[in-house]
Amino acid sequence: MLRTPLTRTLSLGAPSRVFAVVRTSASASTPAKAPEKIEVFVDDQSVFVDPGTTVLQAAAQIGVEIPRFCYHERLAVAGNCRMCLVEVEKSPKPVAACAMPVMKGWRIKTNSDMTRKAREGVMEFLLMNHPLDCPICDQGGECDLQDQAMAFGSDRSRFTDINYTGKRAVEDKDIGPLVKTIMTRCIHCTRCIRFASEIAGVDDFGTTGRGNDMQVGTYVEKMLLSELSGNIIDLCPVGALTNKPYSFVARPWEIRRIDSIDVLDAIGSNISVSTRTGEVLRILPRENEDINEEWLADKSRFACDGLKRQRLIAPMLRMPNGELQPVEWESVLIAVAKNLQKAGSSVAGIAGSLADVESMIALKDVLETLGSKAVATETKLPKQTLGKRSTYIMNTPIADIEESDFVLLIGTNPRYEAPLLNTRIRKGYVHNETDVALIGSQVDLSYKYDYIGDDASVINEVVSGRHPVSKRLSSAKKPVIIVGSDQLARPDGAAILSSLHSYANKLEKDGWKVFNVLQRNASQVGAMDIGYQPGAEEVLASKPKVLFLLGADGPSISRDNIPKDCFVIYQGHHGDAGAAIADAILPGAAYTEKQATYVNAEGRAQQTLVAVTPPGLAREDWKILRALSEVLGKPLKYDNLDEIRARIEKIAPHLTNYGKRDGSDTSKDKIEASGHIQSSKIDIKQKHLIDYFMTDPISRSSPTMAKCIAAVKKQEANPYK
Amino acid sequence: MASREAVRKSLQQVRPILSVDHNEARRRVLNLYRAWYRQIPYVVMDYDIPKNIEQCRAKLREQFLKNKNVTDIRVSDMLVIKGQMELKETVEIWKQKGHIMRYWKESEEPKPTDFLSKFIAGQN
Repeated sequence: MLRTPLTRTLSLGAPSRVFAVVRTSASASTPAKAPEKIEVFVDDQSVFVDPGTTVLQAAAQIGVEIPRFCYHERLAVAGNCRMCLVEVEKSPKPVAACAMPVMKGWRIKTNSDMTRKAREGVMEFLLMNHPLDCPICDQGGECDLQDQAMAFGSDRSRFTDINYTGKRAVEDKDIGPLVKTIMTRCIHCTRCIRFASEIAGVDDFGTTGRGNDMQVGTYVEKMLLSELSGNIIDLCPVGALTNKPYSFVARPWEIRRIDSIDVLDAIGSNISVSTRTGEVLRILPRENEDINEEWLADKSRFACDGLKRQRLIAPMLRMPNGELQPVEWESVLIAVAKNLQKAGSSVAGIAGSLADVESMIALKDVLETLGSKAVATETKLPKQTLGKRSTYIMNTPIADIEESDFVLLIGTNPRYEAPLLNTRIRKGYVHNETDVALIGSQVDLSYKYDYIGDDASVINEVVSGRHPVSKRLSSAKKPVIIVGSDQLARPDGAAILSSLHSYANKLEKDGWKVFNVLQRNASQVGAMDIGYQPGAEEVLASKPKVLFLLGADGPSISRDNIPKDCFVIYQGHHGDAGAAIADAILPGAAYTEKQATYVNAEGRAQQTLVAVTPPGLAREDWKILRALSEVLGKPLKYDNLDEIRARIEKIAPHLTNYGKRDGSDTSKDKIEASGHIQSSKIDIKQKHLIDYFMTDPISRSSPTMAKCIAAVKKQEANPYK
Repeated sequence: MASREAVRKSLQQVRPILSVDHNEARRRVLNLYRAWYRQIPYVVMDYDIPKNIEQCRAKLREQFLKNKNVTDIRVSDMLVIKGQMELKETVEIWKQKGHIMRYWKESEEPKPTDFLSKFIAGQN
């Protein structure tokens, strides 16, 4: 794409493989002797490049961008759009810059008459078969074809429809509820095909026919069953693949983009939120080499319409007749404060999956002023993890996973629990010959793996070295073990954790970290970092008189396991399971509506920014707790964001170091083995695509996600699939 | 006349607006106050406001005392000019009832200052 920032093009190191983005890491082994650089001239400017660099990359090194449609630095080179043709001196024909490696002493002319004529010719051919429907095209304003036609196309048209047959027309395909196709606009760049087969691992797309009859599609009509399908919208240089829920909604010049962080999985993908008139219209990925590269999972991208539905917009109190009634902030704060004071220190707090660090700190501080230390997260982990950071984060940085040569997955399905982690593993599998083994339910990971059973006792065998996998792990240079956090919630979770953690520590070589826990929600690592207990059971067992749910909507909390006389306060943004059992509701802000800190699964603190204001009477979460503390008569000592961040910094300094990953010393944390691993089946919750779409209050209230589930069901019912 | 010329020369850097010394400025302020004071019964009558003469005079006094710390002659002159303009507009009934009542700022709510009231007003 022409619009991609130059830095990305420049960061492209190893030229022989397009995908290999070189990162300098301490753990990277020292390469063999670097081959000699060769000199080429781009527009008479000398540049030294590695042998095998393509013309396009050499030009990018000195800041000359060559127009392209089919070339994309994260995909294999296709070289079929011909837009990147440039003149090379003494060559009779122009060469395709994206595919041609440079030779010593070449003089490349990116702005000569021949080059410009070649581009103009290519443009003319493309536009001959492209409809002139920019005014009704959703890509209008952010279209590569539009931009490049203006920059490099001819100033007049020679196209005359002499036979009045109209332009070439192609039937639209139905590939599901997320991606809208207008195939007449397709220029056959094949980016979507390459993405689907190389990165998503769903080999459904292809071309049929030749020449003028060529079509991109699935051949038989079927849904694109992928959790990454939204990325082909971004990749499409024209308006052939567009965002279906966003179609005809807004133009790029009308919307405001705010950089933020995704919280619908634990990866913490960087996103940019497009808003207009106080409404989130769409979510696009933002580039971050360390986390999501430039991709985004479908749930993160398309669940944003759930932010407008089922919202809590006013404080509510449960009336004696059992109904929740909207009230003013004063009355709800007073009612909540009265109950808290009546309960004394018999209060407890549970943080849910979307809670931010600020509000969790504030909740902890409020409960501490009341004399209670009972704060816990909804997700259960062994108690031994408390304070031992390396036992609940991913110790291998996400970006390093693609360098690994052996990955052992235990009781996790990264494809649906963290799709962008799965793309990293797949990247290693495709380009780095990474081997993968899995213990747990047999699932489709989009790449091949050794299935070594679903019995937990296999872990014992692996750890004791009796299993063939142990040999692979110990002989691997960069082994990685990823445990799903659900398995640590098992009764024998502590035993699984301690045996795997100590085993992984033994496998560490040259600072390469092996042990990883893959969390399933965005709040868990942050909560553990500030001292929340993992798991609500203990807190509930203490029979609190008041229970404060901070966005806790999970199945672990229901009216059945809460004491009858317990006063339940729910603070959150969606009217979901937690709000239904509450006696008082404090409406909070969703992640697009507050400036808040989240820590992702690898321990990287990042902050969301305010894109829109909270709806109705909803307020930012930590402010609700701050106001409540004042009504209680023991005001917290922070009044604004800076002051609460200073408080966070005091507890955990790394949490305000935004964008930086804070790893931990795996060898320091020792876990006492407690009990034995039981010989029982390891079950993975999200097995199929249908389990992926609705996992949290936001995606549960999103109509698009509901449509996805319906479409997957329909596809599965199709006998001819 | 001669003395006035001398004063003007010494004050050339700061050109006076109306008054050349404190006494003159003070006289102007008092004149304006007196003019307002005498006009108030007619204002109450003409404008049909829910205030009596005493309340209006208290407000007048309050408005003047608001600037009691002004020592700069030019500033006090400018305030007098503005006060005269207001008076003129009042006398000529170029104003309406609401413009007069605006001196009491009854419809204006005080801005919240502490955290809790800001929170409830949704202003933070």
